[in-house]
Amino acid sequence: MDACMSVEREVDKVLQKLKDTATHTGESLEEAIVQVQAVARELEEGGYNGDVNVAQSLRLSQCLKKVQEAVNNLSAIHKDRHGSVSKVGKAIDRSFVSDFGSVLTDSAFDKELNVQEINQVIYEHFLRQGQLDIAQSLITESAVPVSDTQQEPFLELHHILESLKNHNLEPALAWAGANRKALEGQGSSLEFKLHRLHFIDLVSHGPSFQLNALNYARNFAPFAASHAKELQVLMGTLLYMKQGLDHSPYSSLLDSVHWLEICDIFTRDACTLLGLSVESPLSVVIRAGCAALPPLLNIKQVMQQRQCSGVWSAKDELPVEINLGKECRFHSIFACPILRQQSSSLNPPVRLVCGHVISQDALHKLANGNKVKCPYCPVEQTLNDAKQIFF
Amino acid sequence: MVERLTILKRKAEESITDEMEAAQACKRRIEHLKSYDTLPPAAKVQWKKTRLDRMLVEYFLRAGYYNTAIKLAEHTHIQDLTNIELFLVSKDVEESLAKRDTSKCLLWCYDNKSKLRKMKSTLEFNLRQQEFIEYVRNNCRMEAVRHARKYFTGLDESQLSSLRQVMGLLAFSVDTQIAPYRELLDPRRWDSLVQQFRHENFKLYQLNNHSMFTVALQAGLSALKTPQCYRDDGTSKNPDCPVCSKHLNNLACHLPFAHCSQSRLICSITGEPLNEHNPPMMLPNGHVYGYNSLLAMAAEHDGRVVCPRTKEIFNWEDAEKVFVM
Repeated sequence: MDACMSVEREVDKVLQKLKDTATHTGESLEEAIVQVQAVARELEEGGYNGDVNVAQSLRLSQCLKKVQEAVNNLSAIHKDRHGSVSKVGKAIDRSFVSDFGSVLTDSAFDKELNVQEINQVIYEHFLRQGQLDIAQSLITESAVPVSDTQQEPFLELHHILESLKNHNLEPALAWAGANRKALEGQGSSLEFKLHRLHFIDLVSHGPSFQLNALNYARNFAPFAASHAKELQVLMGTLLYMKQGLDHSPYSSLLDSVHWLEICDIFTRDACTLLGLSVESPLSVVIRAGCAALPPLLNIKQVMQQRQCSGVWSAKDELPVEINLGKECRFHSIFACPILRQQSSSLNPPVRLVCGHVISQDALHKLANGNKVKCPYCPVEQTLNDAKQIFF
Repeated sequence: MVERLTILKRKAEESITDEMEAAQACKRRIEHLKSYDTLPPAAKVQWKKTRLDRMLVEYFLRAGYYNTAIKLAEHTHIQDLTNIELFLVSKDVEESLAKRDTSKCLLWCYDNKSKLRKMKSTLEFNLRQQEFIEYVRNNCRMEAVRHARKYFTGLDESQLSSLRQVMGLLAFSVDTQIAPYRELLDPRRWDSLVQQFRHENFKLYQLNNHSMFTVALQAGLSALKTPQCYRDDGTSKNPDCPVCSKHLNNLACHLPFAHCSQSRLICSITGEPLNEHNPPMMLPNGHVYGYNSLLAMAAEHDGRVVCPRTKEIFNWEDAEKVFVM
């Protein structure tokens, strides 16, 4: 942030100066032009006849001098401005890291195949965002091989989401009805929530829609068992139809949050149903990458100062731990508390009889003959009692 | 006199508005960066999205997908934050080079003469050399010599050896098989010229040779990559994990894994973290899940739990506690 501030200061200075010079240049040049014009007129009036008399030539040289001066002045200002402009450049250089490429592994992404993969990922990302025209133009320009079947689910989902955002439930309800079985299997209450929104919508229109609302309530029949409590609440809203729901105990049901929520629920459920991740993988990766870059650059610098190279090569692991926050954890990672090493298929985690978990290598190192004492508690056991576990 | 002064005035105005624009663009970018700090969390998501779009635009420009880049920038209103114009100029030059026309590139060299000299660029020399080779190829050897006299005098020492080689070309026929000369006549030299132009252009504008997008992509993949994403049986994949998705999985294949010295366990059923509020429980087959999710499953199926990975059925009572330090 400090970086931005300092650069901004410089830029502001330059802007100010530019404004000044803009007006100044305009004025002085204008002046010069007027002067020259005046002299020209004078000459004409004085009867220009091939050669100039002394007074005229003096007048001319004076005028020339003035113009010269003005132009020189301008170029001086221009140079001065150059100084402040280059200051901005330096400030930018100073405050932003430009050498971010140094953390790259050498040309891991250069191969033709990889470029295709990247383009595929980007293509899918655009489909997810519903930016179809961009996805299309990417295909035409990069010649990525894609199949039409890849597009369809995204198109449908996007269409439904758009209409949900416009408070139109029809497509979503149709979709939920078509996939009812699968949704139930997931324990999703999407369809109920969609119906609920529709119902509340009807109720909030006032008493004239009472009959419609009652009729619509029949749609709740399949959910009677699973959502009894919520149903009672919904029927309760009918009591307040006349006064309007705004001033009833049920006013919270009118909250527009529910609409946002249904969009979220819909995306989540639909994505799980199709076996997709909720968020675009690309945006997750880039987010992680942006979080990971600063520490990586730091460690790189430190390592260069201490002259130990090969940051990335060591053990095929990043040199530092990068905390990406909870939402970026997708897999359990067991790091052996004894060896401080990630477990692997060759060195799996094992559970001792007392319940403590260490890695297999650590177990063998701790073994005394066939006996092992747990490093955390007094329990002793034989090697064979340890059991491999899977996270 | 008056005329020249008016021209000067017009030019001064033009250049000042140009510079004003550049400075304004600079300021807008800084404001965009600064705004991140003051944004509410909801808007931060949007900001991050813009960041991704920005990177994508840059990547497209570098990869040569100009239409896509322009469309995306227009769609997301980030024209101000990207260097589209700069790349469009280079596109122009690259296209003309691909058509074996050096004029545009030479013009570009001329425009940026002082900077190129500061960088000790050999681009112009290489271009002239290529022109010479083309003369030879078309059997206009006299033209070639004239061309050489015009442009190759007054070069410095370092280029002498390659110059000699090129001049040597005069002695050979176009379909020669002799080593250095055959390469000189290789049409692929044009491609390398395009490459060189690209590099010099980036260097001139202090752009990196790699796009921000690829760098961030690599760093991100590495930070997320765990051995679990690469189990052969595929049972440990998580549909939400980006590295587990097909294409990214291939991409991340050669990248390093994330470093982890502290165990970070999550329940593979719900994705919740395993900690003192949700302790890990081991089923008799060795698979570990969170207490909460197993309890919920047991409540639904009268005390029985199904291991989601092996589909074995166990009694809830048989699950044992696991302690991870």
